[in-house]
Amino acid sequence: MSFMEENLDYYAQSNALRDVNCYLKLALGLGAIFICIASPAPLAPLFIVITLSAITLVVAKIPVRVYVELLHIPVIFAFFSVIVILFLSGSGDTILTFTVANVPLTITTGSANLASLVLVRTFGGMCGLFFIALTTPMIEIFSVMHKLHFPPVMVDLSMLIYHFIFVFIAETIAIHNAQTIRHGYTSLKRSINSMAMLGAMLFIRGWKEAEDLIIAMDSRCYDGKLALPGQQNPPKPAAIASIAVYLGLCIAVAIMTSTIVPFR
Amino acid sequence: MHIMEGYLPWQWCVFWYLVSAPFIIYGIYLLNRQVKEHRETLSLLAVSGAFIFLLSSLKMPSPVVGSCSHPTGTGLSTVLFGPFITCVLSVIVLIFQALFMAHGGITTLGANDFSMGIAGPLLGYVVYRVAKAVKLNIFVNIFLVAFVADLFTYVITAIELAAAFPATHGGFLISFETFFAIYAVTQIPLAIVEGLLIALVFKYIVQSRGDILVKLKVLTPEQATKITEGFK
Repeated sequence: MSFMEENLDYYAQSNALRDVNCYLKLALGLGAIFICIASPAPLAPLFIVITLSAITLVVAKIPVRVYVELLHIPVIFAFFSVIVILFLSGSGDTILTFTVANVPLTITTGSANLASLVLVRTFGGMCGLFFIALTTPMIEIFSVMHKLHFPPVMVDLSMLIYHFIFVFIAETIAIHNAQTIRHGYTSLKRSINSMAMLGAMLFIRGWKEAEDLIIAMDSRCYDGKLALPGQQNPPKPAAIASIAVYLGLCIAVAIMTSTIVPFR
Repeated sequence: MHIMEGYLPWQWCVFWYLVSAPFIIYGIYLLNRQVKEHRETLSLLAVSGAFIFLLSSLKMPSPVVGSCSHPTGTGLSTVLFGPFITCVLSVIVLIFQALFMAHGGITTLGANDFSMGIAGPLLGYVVYRVAKAVKLNIFVNIFLVAFVADLFTYVITAIELAAAFPATHGGFLISFETFFAIYAVTQIPLAIVEGLLIALVFKYIVQSRGDILVKLKVLTPEQATKITEGFK
Protein backbone atom coordinates (compact mmCIF):
# COMPACT_ATOMS: atom_id res chain seq x y z
CA MET A 1 0.00 0.00 0.00
CA SER A 2 2.97 2.29 -0.32
CA PHE A 3 1.38 4.43 -3.04
CA MET A 4 -1.26 5.44 -0.54
CA GLU A 5 1.14 6.75 2.04
CA GLU A 6 3.27 8.60 -0.45
CA ASN A 7 0.78 9.75 -3.05
CA LEU A 8 1.26 12.37 -5.70
CA ASP A 9 -0.73 14.90 -3.73
CA TYR A 10 2.12 15.27 -1.29
CA TYR A 11 4.45 16.43 -4.04
CA ALA A 12 1.76 18.59 -5.62
CA GLN A 13 1.59 20.51 -2.36
CA SER A 14 5.32 20.82 -1.79
CA ASN A 15 7.06 21.17 -5.16
CA ALA A 16 8.95 24.25 -6.32
CA LEU A 17 6.20 25.30 -8.76
CA ARG A 18 3.49 25.15 -6.08
CA ASP A 19 2.76 28.89 -6.15
CA VAL A 20 2.82 29.37 -9.90
CA ASN A 21 -0.58 30.24 -11.39
CA CYS A 22 -2.35 26.95 -12.04
CA TYR A 23 -3.70 27.94 -15.46
CA LEU A 24 -0.12 28.19 -16.66
CA LYS A 25 0.76 24.75 -15.32
CA LEU A 26 -2.37 23.22 -16.85
CA ALA A 27 -1.65 24.94 -20.17
CA LEU A 28 1.86 23.52 -20.22
CA GLY A 29 0.85 19.96 -19.26
CA LEU A 30 -2.26 19.69 -21.43
CA GLY A 31 -0.57 21.50 -24.33
CA ALA A 32 2.25 18.96 -24.28
CA ILE A 33 -0.21 16.04 -24.17
CA PHE A 34 -2.20 17.39 -27.13
CA ILE A 35 0.91 17.99 -29.22
CA CYS A 36 2.00 14.43 -28.39
CA ILE A 37 -1.18 12.75 -29.58
CA ALA A 38 -1.49 14.99 -32.64
CA SER A 39 2.05 14.36 -33.80
CA PRO A 40 2.30 12.03 -36.82
CA ALA A 41 5.94 11.10 -36.21
CA PRO A 42 7.77 9.93 -33.08
CA LEU A 43 10.41 12.67 -32.80
CA ALA A 44 8.16 15.39 -31.36
CA PRO A 45 6.79 13.19 -28.52
CA LEU A 46 10.36 12.11 -27.81
CA PHE A 47 11.39 15.76 -27.59
CA ILE A 48 8.52 16.37 -25.16
CA VAL A 49 9.47 13.34 -23.03
CA ILE A 50 13.00 14.64 -22.58
CA THR A 51 12.23 18.34 -22.07
CA LEU A 52 9.14 17.91 -19.90
CA SER A 53 10.91 15.40 -17.65
CA ALA A 54 13.73 17.89 -17.31
CA ILE A 55 11.24 20.61 -16.37
CA THR A 56 9.58 18.33 -13.80
CA LEU A 57 12.88 17.28 -12.26
CA VAL A 58 14.91 20.49 -12.43
CA VAL A 59 12.37 23.32 -12.28
CA ALA A 60 9.71 21.68 -10.09
CA LYS A 61 12.45 19.87 -8.07
CA ILE A 62 10.71 16.48 -7.89
CA PRO A 63 13.17 13.85 -6.59
CA VAL A 64 14.53 11.65 -9.41
CA ARG A 65 13.85 8.47 -7.42
CA VAL A 66 10.14 9.32 -7.10
CA TYR A 67 9.81 10.22 -10.77
CA VAL A 68 11.50 7.04 -12.01
CA GLU A 69 9.42 4.91 -9.66
CA LEU A 70 6.23 6.52 -10.91
CA LEU A 71 7.11 6.14 -14.56
CA HIS A 72 8.41 2.60 -14.64
CA ILE A 73 5.12 0.73 -14.19
CA PRO A 74 3.16 2.54 -16.93
CA VAL A 75 6.16 2.28 -19.24
CA ILE A 76 6.24 -1.50 -18.81
CA PHE A 77 2.52 -1.64 -19.61
CA ALA A 78 2.98 0.60 -22.63
CA PHE A 79 5.73 -1.70 -23.86
CA PHE A 80 3.50 -4.78 -23.67
CA SER A 81 0.54 -3.10 -25.35
CA VAL A 82 2.76 -1.90 -28.15
CA ILE A 83 3.96 -5.44 -28.91
CA VAL A 84 0.41 -6.30 -30.00
CA ILE A 85 0.42 -3.44 -32.49
CA LEU A 86 3.80 -4.55 -33.74
CA PHE A 87 2.38 -7.86 -34.98
CA LEU A 88 -1.15 -6.85 -35.93
CA SER A 89 -0.91 -3.91 -38.22
CA GLY A 90 1.25 -2.31 -40.82
CA SER A 91 2.25 -2.55 -44.40
CA GLY A 92 5.50 -2.10 -46.28
CA ASP A 93 8.58 -4.27 -46.36
CA THR A 94 8.89 -7.21 -44.01
CA ILE A 95 11.59 -6.78 -41.40
CA LEU A 96 11.21 -10.02 -39.51
CA THR A 97 9.07 -13.16 -39.74
CA PHE A 98 8.89 -16.06 -37.35
CA THR A 99 6.40 -18.67 -36.20
CA VAL A 100 5.15 -19.22 -32.67
CA ALA A 101 2.90 -22.27 -32.17
CA ASN A 102 1.92 -22.40 -35.84
CA VAL A 103 0.97 -18.72 -35.88
CA PRO A 104 3.11 -16.76 -38.32
CA LEU A 105 4.16 -13.42 -36.86
CA THR A 106 5.45 -10.65 -39.08
CA ILE A 107 6.96 -7.30 -38.32
CA THR A 108 6.86 -4.85 -41.20
CA THR A 109 8.26 -1.35 -41.54
CA GLY A 110 4.73 0.03 -41.24
CA SER A 111 3.98 -1.80 -38.02
CA ALA A 112 7.37 -0.96 -36.53
CA ASN A 113 6.80 2.71 -37.29
CA LEU A 114 3.31 2.68 -35.79
CA ALA A 115 4.47 0.79 -32.70
CA SER A 116 7.36 3.16 -32.05
CA LEU A 117 5.07 6.15 -32.53
CA VAL A 118 2.48 4.80 -30.06
CA LEU A 119 5.19 3.96 -27.56
CA VAL A 120 6.72 7.45 -27.43
CA ARG A 121 3.27 9.06 -27.64
CA THR A 122 2.16 7.12 -24.56
CA PHE A 123 5.41 7.98 -22.85
CA GLY A 124 5.01 11.67 -23.71
CA GLY A 125 1.38 11.74 -22.57
CA MET A 126 2.44 10.17 -19.30
CA CYS A 127 5.08 12.86 -18.75
CA GLY A 128 2.46 15.57 -19.34
CA LEU A 129 0.11 13.87 -16.92
CA PHE A 130 2.78 13.52 -14.27
CA PHE A 131 3.77 17.15 -14.71
CA ILE A 132 0.21 18.23 -13.88
CA ALA A 133 -0.16 15.63 -11.12
CA LEU A 134 3.10 16.53 -9.42
CA THR A 135 2.83 20.32 -9.60
CA THR A 136 -0.87 21.19 -9.34
CA PRO A 137 -2.86 20.38 -6.18
CA MET A 138 -6.38 19.06 -6.73
CA ILE A 139 -7.86 22.02 -4.84
CA GLU A 140 -6.64 24.35 -7.57
CA ILE A 141 -8.13 22.12 -10.23
CA PHE A 142 -11.48 22.35 -8.43
CA SER A 143 -11.39 26.12 -8.56
CA VAL A 144 -10.61 25.91 -12.29
CA MET A 145 -13.65 23.64 -12.70
CA HIS A 146 -15.75 26.27 -10.90
CA LYS A 147 -14.47 29.05 -13.13
CA LEU A 148 -15.14 27.00 -16.27
CA HIS A 149 -18.77 26.59 -15.14
CA PHE A 150 -18.78 22.86 -14.62
CA PRO A 151 -22.13 21.87 -13.03
CA PRO A 152 -21.81 22.85 -9.33
CA VAL A 153 -23.20 19.50 -8.22
CA MET A 154 -20.36 17.74 -10.05
CA VAL A 155 -17.66 19.99 -8.59
CA ASP A 156 -19.06 19.54 -5.07
CA LEU A 157 -19.27 15.80 -5.56
CA SER A 158 -15.65 15.75 -6.75
CA MET A 159 -14.53 17.68 -3.69
CA LEU A 160 -16.41 15.38 -1.34
CA ILE A 161 -15.02 12.29 -3.10
CA TYR A 162 -11.56 13.83 -2.72
CA HIS A 163 -12.23 14.33 0.98
CA PHE A 164 -13.42 10.75 1.44
CA ILE A 165 -10.49 9.26 -0.45
CA PHE A 166 -8.18 10.48 2.33
CA VAL A 167 -10.54 9.31 5.05
CA PHE A 168 -10.63 5.90 3.37
CA ILE A 169 -6.88 5.71 2.81
CA ALA A 170 -6.24 6.13 6.52
CA GLU A 171 -8.86 3.50 7.38
CA THR A 172 -7.60 1.09 4.73
CA ILE A 173 -4.03 1.22 5.96
CA ALA A 174 -5.14 0.59 9.55
CA ILE A 175 -7.50 -2.29 8.70
CA HIS A 176 -5.12 -3.82 6.16
CA ASN A 177 -2.26 -3.85 8.68
CA ALA A 178 -4.49 -5.38 11.34
CA GLN A 179 -5.62 -8.09 8.92
CA THR A 180 -2.11 -8.81 7.68
CA ILE A 181 -0.67 -9.39 11.16
CA ARG A 182 -3.51 -11.83 11.80
CA HIS A 183 -2.60 -13.84 8.67
CA GLY A 184 -5.57 -12.46 6.76
CA TYR A 185 -3.84 -12.65 3.39
CA THR A 186 -2.06 -15.98 3.55
CA SER A 187 -4.25 -17.87 1.07
CA LEU A 188 -6.52 -16.94 -1.80
CA LYS A 189 -9.69 -17.81 0.08
CA ARG A 190 -8.64 -15.84 3.14
CA SER A 191 -7.56 -12.92 0.99
CA ILE A 192 -10.95 -12.70 -0.66
CA ASN A 193 -12.71 -12.87 2.67
CA SER A 194 -10.41 -10.29 4.24
CA MET A 195 -10.76 -7.94 1.30
CA ALA A 196 -14.52 -8.23 1.38
CA MET A 197 -14.52 -7.44 5.09
CA LEU A 198 -12.22 -4.50 4.48
CA GLY A 199 -14.44 -3.23 1.67
CA ALA A 200 -17.64 -3.56 3.67
CA MET A 201 -16.15 -1.90 6.75
CA LEU A 202 -14.92 1.00 4.65
CA PHE A 203 -18.32 1.40 3.09
CA ILE A 204 -20.15 1.31 6.40
CA ARG A 205 -17.77 3.66 8.20
CA GLY A 206 -17.73 5.97 5.22
CA TRP A 207 -21.50 5.97 5.23
CA LYS A 208 -21.56 7.01 8.86
CA GLU A 209 -19.01 9.74 8.20
CA ALA A 210 -21.17 10.95 5.32
CA GLU A 211 -24.26 11.18 7.50
CA ASP A 212 -22.30 13.20 10.05
CA LEU A 213 -20.77 15.36 7.34
CA ILE A 214 -24.11 16.40 5.89
CA ILE A 215 -25.27 17.51 9.34
CA ALA A 216 -22.07 19.51 9.77
CA MET A 217 -22.51 21.06 6.31
CA ASP A 218 -26.16 21.89 6.92
CA SER A 219 -25.39 23.56 10.22
CA ARG A 220 -22.94 25.80 8.34
CA CYS A 221 -25.64 26.80 5.84
CA TYR A 222 -24.63 24.63 2.89
CA ASP A 223 -26.77 25.70 -0.07
CA GLY A 224 -25.59 23.45 -2.88
CA LYS A 225 -22.28 25.12 -3.65
CA LEU A 226 -19.15 24.72 -1.60
CA ALA A 227 -17.13 27.93 -1.46
CA LEU A 228 -13.52 27.74 -2.57
CA PRO A 229 -10.73 29.99 -1.40
CA GLY A 230 -9.75 30.89 -4.93
CA GLN A 231 -6.53 32.76 -4.36
CA GLN A 232 -4.30 32.54 -7.39
CA ASN A 233 -1.04 34.33 -7.92
CA PRO A 234 -1.38 36.41 -11.08
CA PRO A 235 0.67 34.90 -13.93
CA LYS A 236 4.06 36.54 -14.44
CA PRO A 237 4.65 37.80 -17.98
CA ALA A 238 7.98 35.99 -18.11
CA ALA A 239 6.28 32.70 -17.22
CA ILE A 240 3.58 33.18 -19.88
CA ALA A 241 6.24 33.99 -22.45
CA SER A 242 8.41 30.99 -21.60
CA ILE A 243 5.46 28.56 -21.77
CA ALA A 244 4.37 30.05 -25.10
CA VAL A 245 7.93 29.71 -26.43
CA TYR A 246 8.19 26.12 -25.17
CA LEU A 247 4.87 24.99 -26.68
CA GLY A 248 5.71 26.87 -29.90
CA LEU A 249 9.00 25.02 -30.02
CA CYS A 250 7.22 21.67 -29.54
CA ILE A 251 4.80 22.46 -32.37
CA ALA A 252 7.69 23.53 -34.58
CA VAL A 253 9.51 20.27 -33.86
CA ALA A 254 6.32 18.31 -34.60
CA ILE A 255 5.85 20.04 -37.95
CA MET A 256 9.46 19.87 -39.01
CA THR A 257 9.88 16.19 -38.14
CA SER A 258 6.45 15.06 -39.32
CA THR A 259 7.89 13.00 -42.19
CA ILE A 260 10.84 11.48 -40.35
CA VAL A 261 10.15 7.85 -39.40
CA PRO A 262 12.61 5.40 -37.82
CA PHE A 263 12.06 2.53 -40.30
CA ARG A 264 11.94 2.93 -44.06
CA MET B 1 -6.59 -1.67 -16.62
CA HIS B 2 -7.57 1.58 -18.28
CA ILE B 3 -6.32 2.72 -21.65
CA MET B 4 -3.21 4.80 -21.10
CA GLU B 5 -2.68 8.45 -21.91
CA GLY B 6 -1.47 8.88 -25.47
CA TYR B 7 -2.30 5.33 -26.54
CA LEU B 8 -5.30 6.23 -28.72
CA PRO B 9 -4.98 8.42 -31.82
CA TRP B 10 -6.66 11.82 -31.36
CA GLN B 11 -9.57 10.99 -33.72
CA TRP B 12 -10.61 8.12 -31.45
CA CYS B 13 -10.20 10.23 -28.32
CA VAL B 14 -12.66 12.75 -29.75
CA PHE B 15 -15.00 10.01 -30.93
CA TRP B 16 -15.25 8.34 -27.49
CA TYR B 17 -15.70 11.70 -25.78
CA LEU B 18 -18.65 12.38 -28.08
CA VAL B 19 -20.14 8.92 -27.48
CA SER B 20 -19.85 9.26 -23.70
CA ALA B 21 -21.09 12.86 -23.49
CA PRO B 22 -24.88 12.21 -23.69
CA PHE B 23 -24.68 9.58 -20.93
CA ILE B 24 -22.66 11.87 -18.70
CA ILE B 25 -25.01 14.81 -19.30
CA TYR B 26 -28.06 12.68 -18.54
CA GLY B 27 -26.26 11.36 -15.43
CA ILE B 28 -25.59 14.89 -14.23
CA TYR B 29 -29.25 15.78 -14.81
CA LEU B 30 -30.34 12.79 -12.68
CA LEU B 31 -27.74 13.64 -10.09
CA ASN B 32 -29.03 17.21 -9.84
CA ARG B 33 -32.57 16.00 -9.41
CA GLN B 34 -31.63 13.44 -6.78
CA VAL B 35 -29.62 15.94 -4.77
CA LYS B 36 -32.44 18.52 -4.92
CA GLU B 37 -34.97 15.97 -3.68
CA HIS B 38 -32.82 14.32 -1.02
CA ARG B 39 -30.06 16.64 0.12
CA GLU B 40 -28.38 13.96 2.16
CA THR B 41 -27.59 11.80 -0.88
CA LEU B 42 -24.74 14.07 -1.98
CA SER B 43 -22.35 12.93 0.72
CA LEU B 44 -23.52 9.34 0.39
CA LEU B 45 -22.76 9.48 -3.34
CA ALA B 46 -19.34 10.85 -2.46
CA VAL B 47 -18.72 7.81 -0.28
CA SER B 48 -19.63 5.53 -3.18
CA GLY B 49 -17.31 7.45 -5.49
CA ALA B 50 -14.42 7.20 -3.07
CA PHE B 51 -15.28 3.54 -2.67
CA ILE B 52 -15.00 2.93 -6.43
CA PHE B 53 -11.70 4.80 -6.40
CA LEU B 54 -10.29 2.72 -3.60
CA LEU B 55 -11.53 -0.62 -4.90
CA SER B 56 -10.00 0.01 -8.28
CA SER B 57 -6.74 1.02 -6.60
CA LEU B 58 -6.52 -2.16 -4.54
CA LYS B 59 -4.58 -4.97 -6.05
CA MET B 60 -6.95 -7.88 -6.01
CA PRO B 61 -5.80 -11.33 -4.92
CA SER B 62 -5.27 -12.75 -8.36
CA PRO B 63 -5.27 -16.44 -9.24
CA VAL B 64 -3.10 -15.68 -12.26
CA VAL B 65 0.48 -14.96 -11.39
CA GLY B 66 1.86 -11.65 -12.55
CA SER B 67 -1.39 -10.14 -13.71
CA CYS B 68 -2.08 -6.64 -12.56
CA SER B 69 -5.79 -6.19 -12.78
CA HIS B 70 -8.10 -4.60 -10.32
CA PRO B 71 -11.82 -4.62 -9.55
CA THR B 72 -13.75 -1.98 -11.45
CA GLY B 73 -15.86 -1.41 -8.35
CA THR B 74 -18.80 -0.14 -10.34
CA GLY B 75 -21.05 -3.14 -9.63
CA LEU B 76 -22.07 -2.06 -6.15
CA SER B 77 -22.87 1.53 -7.07
CA THR B 78 -24.86 0.32 -10.09
CA VAL B 79 -27.11 -1.64 -7.77
CA LEU B 80 -27.35 1.17 -5.21
CA PHE B 81 -27.74 4.23 -7.46
CA GLY B 82 -28.41 3.01 -10.99
CA PRO B 83 -26.19 3.09 -14.10
CA PHE B 84 -26.36 6.78 -15.06
CA ILE B 85 -25.26 8.18 -11.72
CA THR B 86 -22.55 5.52 -11.67
CA CYS B 87 -21.41 6.96 -14.99
CA VAL B 88 -20.85 10.43 -13.47
CA LEU B 89 -19.12 8.90 -10.45
CA SER B 90 -16.84 6.99 -12.81
CA VAL B 91 -15.83 10.16 -14.69
CA ILE B 92 -14.77 11.80 -11.44
CA VAL B 93 -12.99 8.67 -10.24
CA LEU B 94 -11.17 8.30 -13.56
CA ILE B 95 -9.96 11.91 -13.39
CA PHE B 96 -8.64 11.29 -9.89
CA GLN B 97 -6.98 8.05 -10.93
CA ALA B 98 -5.28 9.78 -13.83
CA LEU B 99 -3.94 12.49 -11.54
CA PHE B 100 -3.12 10.28 -8.55
CA MET B 101 -1.64 7.14 -9.99
CA ALA B 102 -1.36 7.67 -13.75
CA HIS B 103 -4.03 5.03 -14.33
CA GLY B 104 -5.73 6.04 -17.57
CA GLY B 105 -5.41 9.58 -18.83
CA ILE B 106 -7.08 12.83 -19.80
CA THR B 107 -7.32 12.28 -23.57
CA THR B 108 -8.45 8.68 -23.09
CA LEU B 109 -11.02 9.68 -20.45
CA GLY B 110 -13.92 9.41 -22.91
CA ALA B 111 -12.97 5.89 -23.97
CA ASN B 112 -12.30 4.73 -20.41
CA ASP B 113 -15.54 6.17 -19.14
CA PHE B 114 -17.46 4.49 -21.92
CA SER B 115 -16.11 1.08 -20.99
CA MET B 116 -15.97 1.34 -17.19
CA GLY B 117 -18.70 3.87 -16.44
CA ILE B 118 -21.31 3.33 -19.15
CA ALA B 119 -21.22 -0.04 -20.92
CA GLY B 120 -20.31 -2.17 -17.89
CA PRO B 121 -22.83 -0.67 -15.45
CA LEU B 122 -25.61 -0.52 -18.07
CA LEU B 123 -25.34 -4.21 -18.86
CA GLY B 124 -24.90 -4.97 -15.17
CA TYR B 125 -28.10 -3.06 -14.47
CA VAL B 126 -30.00 -5.02 -17.11
CA VAL B 127 -28.80 -8.25 -15.49
CA TYR B 128 -29.84 -6.90 -12.08
CA ARG B 129 -33.38 -6.07 -13.21
CA VAL B 130 -33.85 -9.38 -15.04
CA ALA B 131 -32.53 -11.40 -12.10
CA LYS B 132 -34.75 -9.40 -9.76
CA ALA B 133 -37.79 -10.05 -11.94
CA VAL B 134 -37.22 -13.81 -11.90
CA LYS B 135 -36.64 -13.59 -8.11
CA LEU B 136 -33.11 -14.91 -8.14
CA ASN B 137 -31.33 -15.05 -4.78
CA ILE B 138 -30.08 -11.52 -4.03
CA PHE B 139 -26.46 -12.60 -3.43
CA VAL B 140 -26.33 -14.58 -6.68
CA ASN B 141 -27.80 -11.51 -8.33
CA ILE B 142 -25.11 -9.18 -6.92
CA PHE B 143 -22.43 -11.66 -7.94
CA LEU B 144 -23.76 -11.69 -11.50
CA VAL B 145 -23.98 -7.89 -11.69
CA ALA B 146 -20.40 -7.38 -10.53
CA PHE B 147 -19.16 -10.22 -12.77
CA VAL B 148 -20.91 -8.89 -15.85
CA ALA B 149 -19.99 -5.25 -15.19
CA ASP B 150 -16.33 -6.18 -14.78
CA LEU B 151 -16.12 -8.51 -17.75
CA PHE B 152 -18.08 -6.32 -20.13
CA THR B 153 -15.85 -3.37 -19.24
CA TYR B 154 -12.93 -5.32 -20.67
CA VAL B 155 -14.86 -6.52 -23.72
CA ILE B 156 -15.55 -2.87 -24.54
CA THR B 157 -11.94 -1.89 -23.86
CA ALA B 158 -10.84 -4.58 -26.30
CA ILE B 159 -13.31 -3.23 -28.87
CA GLU B 160 -11.99 0.30 -28.39
CA LEU B 161 -8.41 -0.84 -28.87
CA ALA B 162 -9.28 -3.00 -31.88
CA ALA B 163 -11.18 -0.13 -33.52
CA ALA B 164 -8.19 2.17 -33.10
CA PHE B 165 -5.66 -0.42 -34.26
CA PRO B 166 -7.32 -2.81 -36.74
CA ALA B 167 -5.14 -5.59 -38.12
CA THR B 168 -3.94 -4.96 -41.65
CA HIS B 169 -4.84 -8.51 -42.63
CA GLY B 170 -8.22 -9.50 -41.26
CA GLY B 171 -9.18 -6.06 -39.92
CA PHE B 172 -11.15 -5.26 -36.81
CA LEU B 173 -12.21 -8.80 -35.87
CA ILE B 174 -8.72 -10.29 -35.77
CA SER B 175 -7.56 -7.31 -33.74
CA PHE B 176 -10.47 -7.67 -31.32
CA GLU B 177 -9.78 -11.38 -30.84
CA THR B 178 -6.14 -10.67 -30.07
CA PHE B 179 -6.79 -7.87 -27.60
CA PHE B 180 -9.56 -9.77 -25.88
CA ALA B 181 -7.54 -12.97 -25.71
CA ILE B 182 -4.86 -11.03 -23.84
CA TYR B 183 -7.40 -9.64 -21.39
CA ALA B 184 -9.35 -12.89 -21.06
CA VAL B 185 -6.42 -14.77 -19.53
CA THR B 186 -6.39 -12.52 -16.52
CA GLN B 187 -9.80 -10.97 -16.59
CA ILE B 188 -12.21 -13.90 -16.52
CA PRO B 189 -10.80 -15.27 -13.25
CA LEU B 190 -10.65 -11.72 -11.90
CA ALA B 191 -14.24 -11.01 -12.85
CA ILE B 192 -15.26 -14.10 -10.87
CA VAL B 193 -13.22 -12.92 -7.89
CA GLU B 194 -14.72 -9.44 -8.13
CA GLY B 195 -18.20 -10.96 -8.23
CA LEU B 196 -17.49 -12.96 -5.08
CA LEU B 197 -15.93 -9.94 -3.43
CA ILE B 198 -18.83 -7.59 -4.11
CA ALA B 199 -21.38 -10.25 -3.06
CA LEU B 200 -19.47 -10.70 0.22
CA VAL B 201 -19.25 -6.94 0.75
CA PHE B 202 -22.98 -6.80 0.19
CA LYS B 203 -23.48 -9.55 2.75
CA TYR B 204 -21.48 -7.67 5.38
CA ILE B 205 -23.42 -4.48 4.65
CA VAL B 206 -26.76 -6.27 5.05
CA GLN B 207 -25.57 -7.81 8.29
CA SER B 208 -24.41 -4.64 9.97
CA ARG B 209 -26.30 -1.80 8.26
CA GLY B 210 -29.30 -3.29 6.49
CA ASP B 211 -31.13 0.02 6.92
CA ILE B 212 -28.90 1.66 4.29
CA LEU B 213 -30.11 -0.78 1.64
CA VAL B 214 -33.73 -0.31 2.68
CA LYS B 215 -33.32 3.46 2.41
CA LEU B 216 -31.97 3.13 -1.13
CA LYS B 217 -34.87 0.80 -2.01
CA VAL B 218 -32.54 -2.08 -2.91
CA LEU B 219 -34.25 -4.30 -0.35
CA THR B 220 -37.71 -4.11 1.19
CA PRO B 221 -37.73 -3.94 5.02
CA GLU B 222 -39.10 -7.51 5.13
CA GLN B 223 -36.31 -8.84 2.92
CA ALA B 224 -33.68 -7.12 5.06
CA THR B 225 -34.97 -8.59 8.32
CA LYS B 226 -35.33 -12.00 6.67
CA ILE B 227 -31.74 -12.00 5.43
CA THR B 228 -30.35 -10.70 8.74
CA GLU B 229 -32.22 -13.37 10.65
CA GLY B 230 -30.98 -16.00 8.24
CA PHE B 231 -27.41 -15.23 9.28
CA LYS B 232 -28.04 -15.47 13.01
